[in-house]
Amino acid sequence: MSIEVTNVTKKFGDFVALDDVSVSLPTGQLTALLGPSGGGKSTLLRIIAGLDSADSGTINIEGTDATRLPAQKRGVGFVFQHYAVFKHMTVAKNVAFGLEIRKRPKDEVKRRVEELLELVHLSQFSHRLPSQLSGGQRQRMALARALAVEPKVLLLDEPFGALDAKVRKELRDWLRRLHDEVHVTTVFVTHDQEEALEVADEIVVINEGRVEQIGTPDQLYDEPANDFVMGFLGEVTQLGDVRLRPHDIEVAVTPGLAGAIEGTATRVLRVGFEVRVTVATSGGDVTVVLTRTHARQLELVEGTKVWLTAASGATTVPAMVAV
Amino acid sequence: MTSALIGASEVARPASPEGRRPRRFRRSTPRNTLTRGAGLGLGIAMIWFSLLVLIPLSAVIAAAGSGGWDRYFSVLRNDQTWAAVTLTVGQAGIVTLVNIVIGTVIAWVLVRDQFWGKRLLDVIIDVPFALPTIVAGLVLLSLYGPNSPLGIHWAFTENAVALALAFVTLPFVVRTVQPVLEELEADVEEAAASLGASRGTILRRIILPSLAPAIAAGAALSFARAISEYGSLVLLSGNRPFETEVVSVRVLTFIENGNNGSAAALASVMLFVALVVIVALDIVQRRVARRG
Repeated sequence: MSIEVTNVTKKFGDFVALDDVSVSLPTGQLTALLGPSGGGKSTLLRIIAGLDSADSGTINIEGTDATRLPAQKRGVGFVFQHYAVFKHMTVAKNVAFGLEIRKRPKDEVKRRVEELLELVHLSQFSHRLPSQLSGGQRQRMALARALAVEPKVLLLDEPFGALDAKVRKELRDWLRRLHDEVHVTTVFVTHDQEEALEVADEIVVINEGRVEQIGTPDQLYDEPANDFVMGFLGEVTQLGDVRLRPHDIEVAVTPGLAGAIEGTATRVLRVGFEVRVTVATSGGDVTVVLTRTHARQLELVEGTKVWLTAASGATTVPAMVAV
Repeated sequence: MTSALIGASEVARPASPEGRRPRRFRRSTPRNTLTRGAGLGLGIAMIWFSLLVLIPLSAVIAAAGSGGWDRYFSVLRNDQTWAAVTLTVGQAGIVTLVNIVIGTVIAWVLVRDQFWGKRLLDVIIDVPFALPTIVAGLVLLSLYGPNSPLGIHWAFTENAVALALAFVTLPFVVRTVQPVLEELEADVEEAAASLGASRGTILRRIILPSLAPAIAAGAALSFARAISEYGSLVLLSGNRPFETEVVSVRVLTFIENGNNGSAAALASVMLFVALVVIVALDIVQRRVARRG
């Protein structure tokens, strides 16, 4: 295991940011810390990096007890949401910073910087100042800067949070490919479940200072440990006494199946290829998602009487009491 | 560097609508990009600046120049005047250097540290600047004068000049550095730390280059104010020729004796000194800011 976090607690005044958290993050993997804002995931990342200290608990990085080590000595690369560029230095100087303060020979620094800029596709920008780069380019530069010192682990705090949707998606794919090339143990924080599901080998779901579940994207999506994880990873609706995904509900326009719940379609909304139907049942409104074709076959319009059942093989969790 | 800048501006420039004829803005002569409103603003600014500064200043230089170079030489060759010039420039230089260090430290403490009375200190910093300068002299005289409770009798010595100048120029560097320091992002320093930079390295290579322009601006203000100081020195320094007489007092003496030409010559010399120092500070600032 590359990073071992054991019983870490952190409070800011009365606010408990992390409550007795223990996580093991395996070597060479790309792990996402996923959770809502203010859930403690960034705090955990900063504690691993040594930028914040834990009130109690220990951090172990690659077999070394790092709990008391300052950030400078942890061998950790850190990438910030808002890039944290050194504004007065050129791109090449930014990337060279970590090597220069380690007093590496000039030609080695030069060679390494060229390699890294090549890796992040910024070679032609090496003499520019960060202010002349776009957000995505700045973040790639920040990544090259963090990788320059060959860190044992690379930590990214909402790395794509400040970028627009299109660039975010590009960088996400690019990070995945980069990780497959470089293989450095990487942990990134995100509140975007799509980002986590798409990029990460493993996801740690953190909420209100606690770890809710650890698993692969498939495990989390198919076997959520609880209602929170299920709700956070995708849309959820409640049918009878279970909660499930809206696309896992079978719709029939005639009664037939045993246990089917009867209702009336009150709203039919088409969004692209899918149709979102709100069904009023005796147990409250249920959201159902169908394909356009399927809805057409059923001749589903507002006011249609429908009978709903959970599809076989659907992921369900028991509904929380009194929601 | 330059080529990169040109490249950037070309990339950044949006595609121009070639079909339409550019009206106010022609690319071949991009010197005048003023709109009507901006033109009016610039006009008002220039008239105001001319009436207040440029024309009177030109008049002084013209008055000084009417006597030719000989006037300058005779004025500067006067031992008493030369002593006043060296004293003023020397003490102003020392005080400016002190301000660069102390002012930055005070700004740092005010921005980065939390302590009881911080808000009060933040307000009090401006007091030396806000006080009428003659009162400033009085304040200092009570502590460092003949009846000093500390037993420090600096009044009527060179130290008194430095003291008074330091007092009235204290806020300049603090007030220029403070906002820049507040704007510095903490994550930049954290990034440097995670790359292995020690506290000293972060200060030298990350923080100081960012503060350099502000420190230079504050130092320029502080120096300019110091070489022109008059009021606070009247009480404290005693204006003793060859010892504590500063240039502004010397100029007043010339005028009182009806020697306006010499006064103008000395004034233009000081103007030149101020220009040289401001330009020098700017050069140093650019060096430091680019050192990272």
